[in-house]
Amino acid sequence: MDDSNSRKFQKELNGGLVGLVLLAVLNQSSEDLYGYEIAKRLASANEGVSVFKEGTIYPVLRALSAGNLLTSRIVPSYSGPPRRYYRITDEGRSVLAEWTAIWAGTRNFVDRFIDKGQSP
Amino acid sequence: MNRSAPRSIDQYLRQLREELAGEDAALIQDALYDAEEYLRAEVAAHPDKSESDVLELIASTYGAPDEVASAYRDTEAKVKAAMTTPRKAPGSAAGIFFGVFLDPRAYTSLFFMLLSLATGVIYFTFAVTGLALSAGLAVLVIGIPFFLLFMALTRVVSLAEGRLIEAMTGERMPRRPIHQSGTSGFWSRVGEMLKDRRTWSTLAYLILMLPLGIAYFVIAVVGLSLSLAFTFTPLIYLSDHYGWFDPGNLHIGPAWLESLWALPFMMLTGILLLTLVMHVARGVGRLHAMYAKALLVAPAGV
Repeated sequence: MDDSNSRKFQKELNGGLVGLVLLAVLNQSSEDLYGYEIAKRLASANEGVSVFKEGTIYPVLRALSAGNLLTSRIVPSYSGPPRRYYRITDEGRSVLAEWTAIWAGTRNFVDRFIDKGQSP
Repeated sequence: MNRSAPRSIDQYLRQLREELAGEDAALIQDALYDAEEYLRAEVAAHPDKSESDVLELIASTYGAPDEVASAYRDTEAKVKAAMTTPRKAPGSAAGIFFGVFLDPRAYTSLFFMLLSLATGVIYFTFAVTGLALSAGLAVLVIGIPFFLLFMALTRVVSLAEGRLIEAMTGERMPRRPIHQSGTSGFWSRVGEMLKDRRTWSTLAYLILMLPLGIAYFVIAVVGLSLSLAFTFTPLIYLSDHYGWFDPGNLHIGPAWLESLWALPFMMLTGILLLTLVMHVARGVGRLHAMYAKALLVAPAGV
């Protein structure tokens, strides 16, 4: 019961955050990345356990790409279907800056209440 | 979970397809493509483990098929809502009839009809040349590689046509090419490709695009020139009548039309005709999108 509650909460939180994280990862990267690589970067940043299910980042990548925040190109691969490499666009960068500001504001706001109750 | 966890890539993809049953065929194709890219890369990244060992951990990294399926459904719903501009419903019958001029789809569909003659000629030439050469070269060593190359190009052309149709008519089409799964041998893959209904339906689409393209082009050109002529001839006639400028020797068909009272009716006919052409274009766009989807995109749940 507890477990499903936390999973539901995590899923709802992730809704908007996946896009922000993906934009940030692609903004930091000097080269183009494909889905699997991005998934592994997210996992390795968090001791091998990604906060998101890695399968959920692909549809978001495509949505960001459809919104012109990312561009992509297809490169053939030996191990499977051709890979789609993504790169952030200028529009994506400005959106990332806005979203980062919104995230910082939201985090501060939330922390203000959470820190009051239980001081660490 | 009401079923066993997938133990192979093929099983995983099959379960994902089942979870997405009933969704848009194009969405399913994209989701399977993404999953396969990830799963194959994950298996390749762990050469020391067997495929089933890797798949055991997939539910905690990539996500179980049902989780992934719901992620695609949610994202698709959000993107669709964000990309389609809400249209206010026109109230009156006249609003509905003339509202077509405000619908960008009508203009893009009309453009698609004009363009389809050119694409039809190209597709037809491509498909017929490829098929003829494949058949002719089949007895030689280069026959099989040539056929495979032709098939690969056909998939690229099919994807490009899908993107064009989505841009013109708004119908959701795949954003990823068809990728054949299965790691079995080379010959069985060739055989599978030959048995695949979509291989032949795609070729049929490319060949049928020539007659269709001719029909679309003729309808669009005749409709446009007729309605525009009806709309603007009265203006030219008036300018001739009052001597604003001299368009040369001008005659409008039968003599009874050359009276001033007939001109407004002529113009009205032209405008009605033009509106009708826009409706036809939009209708053709919708029908063609459905038809293209039936032939180019894998039917859901197969």
